[in-house]
Amino acid sequence: MSECRKENLAHFAVTVISKDRPGIVADITEVLYRLGCNIEDSSCTMLGGDFAIILVVSHEKPFSKARLNDEFKTLHDRTGLATHIRPLAEEEICPVKEEGELCLVSVYGSDRPGIVYRVTRALADRRVNITDLNTRLIGTKEEPVYVLMLEAVLPDGMTVEDAAAVLDDLKKALQVEISIRAITPVAL
Amino acid sequence: MPVQTILLYPHPILKKLCRPVADIDPEIGGLIRDLVDTMHAGPGSVGVAAPQIGVSLRVCVVDVSASRLGKENNHGLLVMVNPEVVAREGAAVMREGCMSIPDYTGDVERATAITVHFTDESGNAREVAAEGFEAVAIQHEMDHLDGVLFLDRIVSLKTGLFRRKNYR
Repeated sequence: MSECRKENLAHFAVTVISKDRPGIVADITEVLYRLGCNIEDSSCTMLGGDFAIILVVSHEKPFSKARLNDEFKTLHDRTGLATHIRPLAEEEICPVKEEGELCLVSVYGSDRPGIVYRVTRALADRRVNITDLNTRLIGTKEEPVYVLMLEAVLPDGMTVEDAAAVLDDLKKALQVEISIRAITPVAL
Repeated sequence: MPVQTILLYPHPILKKLCRPVADIDPEIGGLIRDLVDTMHAGPGSVGVAAPQIGVSLRVCVVDVSASRLGKENNHGLLVMVNPEVVAREGAAVMREGCMSIPDYTGDVERATAITVHFTDESGNAREVAAEGFEAVAIQHEMDHLDGVLFLDRIVSLKTGLFRRKNYR
């Protein structure tokens, strides 16, 4: 968004991870609504038996973290929902423009330590920028299977084939399946 | 009236059912020229529907011949008046964006091959069998004629990868 930087707004990251039940998002956003906060961006999902909430919220200045804390303290006393708040610096607010090719990487195989680390380190060392990542443990107790799905933007000059070659080496080292394909969002 | 401004949601015309065209008269000819000019002016644009430039009539244009995904398999410039899909086949998910909804994309499932019946710019009835990206583009533009946006058709959240069913 071009208008992401607004001088008159204070921004905060709000995170909540709590045992899942219906109404968590409503409880949290009711507080924000009453305070007059805007939810600028958000990502919320189930993680195991928990529900995780990550929000970027804004409020017209002057507005302090203490004010948010006070309101969420009351909510915590009433519902047990624990909230973490961090003020955001100016340079954190605007989304980074994604320039290179967008790819989806699937990794899956017998569960073993280091799958996420080895894959993401290999990508990071080549300036590949992860924009989204999910993992899940599936399969059976006897044969647990690990699944990692991520979306990433390749740096300028790197092709999907280049990235595939990097991941191919890992495939052998980790003995997992790895595939990569371009997503190519289409403008219609 | 060559290149027109693309209207952005929440302009109400984008959610309206468009009226059929009765005749290819000079007015419709002008609308078609505007649609083609507007499409060619948009960077990477492969289609425009009449409501996107403020006209609630069943007319859209598609041309994927210059696009990376469509250049191998296309019918060039398609001017479609009162288009109707008469056959569809297959399904594939593609991440779509729309000029009327900037800064957002989402995974949408479309038929991989369609047969579409329409009247062309000269008033001739035509039938085209399109596949791949051209078929997706036609379905996206035709949705505009029914007031349907890609946001109405998103099949999964980014985080829903594991919940997407592939069992058919």
